[in-house]
Amino acid sequence: MRQDYDVVIIGSGAAGGMAAYVLCKAGVKCLMLEAGPMADMQRHRSMKAVYDLPYRGFGKPGRFPHITQASEFDANMWIDEKANPYSYPENDPYYWVRIRMVGGKTLRWGRASWRLSNYEFKGKDHDGFGENWPISLEDLAPFYDRVEPLFRVSGRNEGWPQMPDGKIMLDESRDSTSIQRFKAAAAKLGVPTTKPRRATGTLASSVNLLLPEALATGNLTIVPNAVVREIRVDPTTGRVDTVHFLDRRNKREYSVPAKVLMLGASTLESTRLLLNSRSRMFPNGLANGSGVLGHYLFDQFYVKNSVVAIVPEARGGKGDRTLMGGAGYIPRFRNLKGKEKKFIRGYAFDFGSGGTPSPELLPAYGGEMMKMMDDLQGTAFSMTTMGEALPRYENKVSIHPALKDDWGIPCLHIEQTYTENEFNMAKDGMETGAAACEGAGFEVLAKHWEMVPPGESIHEVGTCRMGADPKKSVLNGWNQAHEVKNLFVLDGSSFVSGGVQNPTLTILALTMRASEYLIEQKKKGQI
Amino acid sequence: MKRRTVFKSLMGVSTLAPSVIGQTATPATDEAFKIDLSAADAVADSRHKYFTPQQYATLTRLCDLLGPAHNGRPSATQAEAPQFLDFLLSQSPTERQVLYSQGLDQLDIDARLRRGKGFAELNDGEAGELLAPLKTKWTWKAPAEPLARFLREAKNDVLRATVNSKAYAEAGAGSRRASGVNTYWDVID
Repeated sequence: MRQDYDVVIIGSGAAGGMAAYVLCKAGVKCLMLEAGPMADMQRHRSMKAVYDLPYRGFGKPGRFPHITQASEFDANMWIDEKANPYSYPENDPYYWVRIRMVGGKTLRWGRASWRLSNYEFKGKDHDGFGENWPISLEDLAPFYDRVEPLFRVSGRNEGWPQMPDGKIMLDESRDSTSIQRFKAAAAKLGVPTTKPRRATGTLASSVNLLLPEALATGNLTIVPNAVVREIRVDPTTGRVDTVHFLDRRNKREYSVPAKVLMLGASTLESTRLLLNSRSRMFPNGLANGSGVLGHYLFDQFYVKNSVVAIVPEARGGKGDRTLMGGAGYIPRFRNLKGKEKKFIRGYAFDFGSGGTPSPELLPAYGGEMMKMMDDLQGTAFSMTTMGEALPRYENKVSIHPALKDDWGIPCLHIEQTYTENEFNMAKDGMETGAAACEGAGFEVLAKHWEMVPPGESIHEVGTCRMGADPKKSVLNGWNQAHEVKNLFVLDGSSFVSGGVQNPTLTILALTMRASEYLIEQKKKGQI
Repeated sequence: MKRRTVFKSLMGVSTLAPSVIGQTATPATDEAFKIDLSAADAVADSRHKYFTPQQYATLTRLCDLLGPAHNGRPSATQAEAPQFLDFLLSQSPTERQVLYSQGLDQLDIDARLRRGKGFAELNDGEAGELLAPLKTKWTWKAPAEPLARFLREAKNDVLRATVNSKAYAEAGAGSRRASGVNTYWDVID
């Protein structure tokens, strides 16, 4: 006889994993459907030399037109772009970067773990643009407090309102001289600096930090290779009652009843699934009476290596560990007290000392270039700009009228472009970063403000946003659909704005909060 | 005959692949076993598939210029970068194939116009005139001019094909990093 589940969870990454972690520990019976397979870290990974790879580290040409992060070593981790297509306007490419595997993108995330502040939650109050979140930092802080220790986040608490302090392991490591010089130069420009704030450990993933404890309760059943095609609602109650999925490997079709659905398939996959789940009651997609579903797609724009500089004292192999090495972070510092520049909101930087500049940056070739490379070994100081992209209605996803994936599921058409606000921010970032490097006595080798295409930062959020007004949002402040009370959408699609902070920590905290809310509601018999 | 094979013959070392010796020497057993294997390009020359003979000669000369031997590390040609790039380009998207084919042709045409001989016959100084775009300041956006764009791509590819070669790893200090060893993810079904 089949198990009767209290909750169906779709996705096993940050959102799905956290939902299982909270619900199963509270005694809730959960079924988790994951579209990808389970990787065996022993069996599926081995050490190889790059020259033994079929394409000498270049990778199979054309295999990943949009996943610049993929290497020939880890190519089998990333989604098969041919089996899982999508489209975008001809001149506005969108790079949708996906992993379908138990653990999702937490197997490969950058681990930066910054809290959102009330500059994001209440952004409209601050500068009049967009919408406020229906929650504030004070609502989410108790959950950040519990997620940070779980993910072993380390960093510094500085007491800055735009970078809320956390329950973190304090990073007391000493900065190298080059980092100290840079920080002093930045301070003269009024630019704050701090240590990176990151989840630590060999692996900081759903598969080692969340799912094992959930499984240990005996309350979690995980089904891999379950590609969900549609969510159905009971036409009499308007509530979710069934989930249809296909086996990824043989396309056999299945249906499973769902009393409550926790959707965490990733920002765009969750929205795609809702848009594909049309019915007489919801002709424009499940829970989309507002018409907002699919709209307000945004991310953070990235300018990789916006400034690359040389620490001159490190030339000729003199860059020892006291001079070079280490990394840091510059939180948003623009427009905190009013509009200072030709843009609203702000940007942040990651910076790092050490390594050798890429040969492509050097105006030389052959023996001359190799001598330069010898001289520049270990001298590099680099910065990457990460800026807030504004949530705009016109940046959106919709269902393509004809394109389908290998399982016959209609695909997304994705439209996102950056505007003058983002461009002006990126230019300001380049000039500010270069000025700080020059102030530190570094030689600026290259600087630019060209952003990577939208999506490439893998920080895509929005399209199923929460809000106080059901006419302007899909979810309430508990990640619960306004119109479908037993449907929760947990991942980055629920974001109203995103600031410059990497989204994973907030997804984890929102999911913990939503899951505990669900438990309370169940106890009260409200769901 | 492969250069390494020639070298081993000169040294009086058996050129029989170690794997063959290992296979005959391994006793039959049901226990876990390990058989040493060899990559094909360690024992055989790959067939040229993509570039014309003239383009290939130009590419080989370009590899000489972009990746000379340095500090005990092999040159691009010693690392068999031209052979590898010929293979890689044979499977590359059309846009990239065109960039390479037209770039190599342009180098050869310019060499004949300026010096009355093909690019492959130019000395370093003569060739340097045609490689001037590589001495300009780097910009994030690729150059608009096709030859400059090709040269920028070729510089990166030649260096990468060299550094990622077995010859380069063998010339290194033997550290994992110098040998380009990393975690490989197998196909997961």
